Amino acid sequence: MSIGCRDLRVSAGGRELVSVPALDIPAGETLAVLGPNGAGKSTLLRALAHLGTASRTGTVLLDGQAATTAGLRRAVAAVLQRPVLQRTTVLDNAAAGLRLRGVRRGEARRRAGPWLDALGVAHLATRNARTLSGGEAQRVAIARALAVAPRVLLLDEPFTGLDATTRTDLLADLRAALDRQDAAVLLVTHDREEARALAQRTALLVNGEIRQLGPTAEVLDAPADLECATLLGFTTQLPPALTGQDGMLVARPERCSPLDDSTPPPPDTVVAAGVLRRAVPLGGATRLDVDTATGPVTAVTTADVTFTPGSPIRIAIAPEHLRTCAPAAAPDAPSRNG
Amino acid sequence: MDVLGDGLLEALRLLLTGDEDTWAITGLTLRVSVTATMIAFLLGVPTAALLALGRFRGRRVLHAIANTGMGLPPVVVGLFVTVLLWRSGPLGSLGLLYTPTAMVIAQAAIATPIVIALTAAALQQVDQDFLLQMRALGATRFRALGALLMEAKLPLLAAGMAGFGAVVSEVGAAQMVGGNLAGETRVLTTAAVLATSRGQFALAIAFGLVLLIIAFAVNLAITIAQHRQLAAR
Repeated sequence: MSIGCRDLRVSAGGRELVSVPALDIPAGETLAVLGPNGAGKSTLLRALAHLGTASRTGTVLLDGQAATTAGLRRAVAAVLQRPVLQRTTVLDNAAAGLRLRGVRRGEARRRAGPWLDALGVAHLATRNARTLSGGEAQRVAIARALAVAPRVLLLDEPFTGLDATTRTDLLADLRAALDRQDAAVLLVTHDREEARALAQRTALLVNGEIRQLGPTAEVLDAPADLECATLLGFTTQLPPALTGQDGMLVARPERCSPLDDSTPPPPDTVVAAGVLRRAVPLGGATRLDVDTATGPVTAVTTADVTFTPGSPIRIAIAPEHLRTCAPAAAPDAPSRNG
Repeated sequence: MDVLGDGLLEALRLLLTGDEDTWAITGLTLRVSVTATMIAFLLGVPTAALLALGRFRGRRVLHAIANTGMGLPPVVVGLFVTVLLWRSGPLGSLGLLYTPTAMVIAQAAIATPIVIALTAAALQQVDQDFLLQMRALGATRFRALGALLMEAKLPLLAAGMAGFGAVVSEVGAAQMVGGNLAGETRVLTTAAVLATSRGQFALAIAFGLVLLIIAFAVNLAITIAQHRQLAAR
């Protein structure tokens, strides 16, 4: 089953939070909605499921047809950002989604068990859910949603607050679990790596509007405007006045290297000259904040840094690491869907 | 000291030998107070859910009124119920004054605000995203609310017990609307007052002991429930 929307607008307190002219997620596909905090990601997710109290206009589609709230309840299961578990055992929590849909206790437990196993928490089945760690609780919450065999699965930042190892393990287990289903999956996240690991397509949501939408690898590597560039980690931004080239150039700081005075820049390399404001050791790398004629530029290098604050410095960026993008979209600019 | 000591001994004898009057009074006390508590629960829990979860104008004022109602003096409740049921009152034609039904009405009026206030507080303490998550798993509104009540079942039990504890031990309303008629509306509290006024201290102490045992059982149940809840966290 596919899920989508047309002219979906959500507002609260007289302010428009989300405006999405069109979005479609076919069955079997995972779409990541990537955006900064406050972009409206969770609001969009809740609006697609007819959840919450925010004012909503537009149409949510299931298999191309306008969906009712009752239809969405049957088709959709959502995992909220913070795992909300019931005061009972892990197994009964995993079975709760089925129980809420009218399945008998024994049958619900029987169907939920394998999902605890798939998410790696079967050994906790008899534990009280309130004694779980954050990572364990999130695994149970995901197992609970998957157990209802939803035709649409909505995941709201399911990896938030987890330590790196737990997150990596859960990513792998979730990927494997999603491969077992034919659901349309919407993953809300602010993490590029989560989108890369789980989603075939990615939408960039900024200020409640989808600015880019396309295959994940393409979207993550080609920001359309400066806000998207910042979101995707292209935070070194070089205006035409600095580079002498047309358009705003952006690059990831780790792709920007300091040049020695004696080193001529390689051909086609863009060089930004300025004064080193500070060098911050990051453990294995050093972040260099450079003041140029047009503003600050940041580089991250693993080379030994001999520059001292206040000294002139040149930052070189190879052409393959540069992207050209439009200025930040005006607040009332139309959204772009690819 | 003799009065107290002799009174205690005589009270224990009355209880252990199965004094008919004492146990009849105890039976009526439990019947009236349990019925009143059940009515308070049936009225109070939906009202509390509305106050705790609803979004409507005046909700906070109603919540404050319910909280104030927790301290409602039983005598005041007894007064209003008496006026309502008085022969020339609005409900006088029902002929309920000085019957156990009148006592149930008065005690339900005392217990309901207690159940509302404590239940509303219990529901507000459940994770604020609980209902949303239940709905997000496909629950209807009704099933999601059921899950919420199950989640708060121990505090709800405590609310019911607190309501019961308040009505089983009150004397003012029971005296005013029941009239303390022997064999008809005499309950433990009114019987203890009467026995004391007559100097029948052993009987009064016996009634007091039964009340204490009931109060202890209620508090024991609440304490066990609370400990179970704490252990589950």
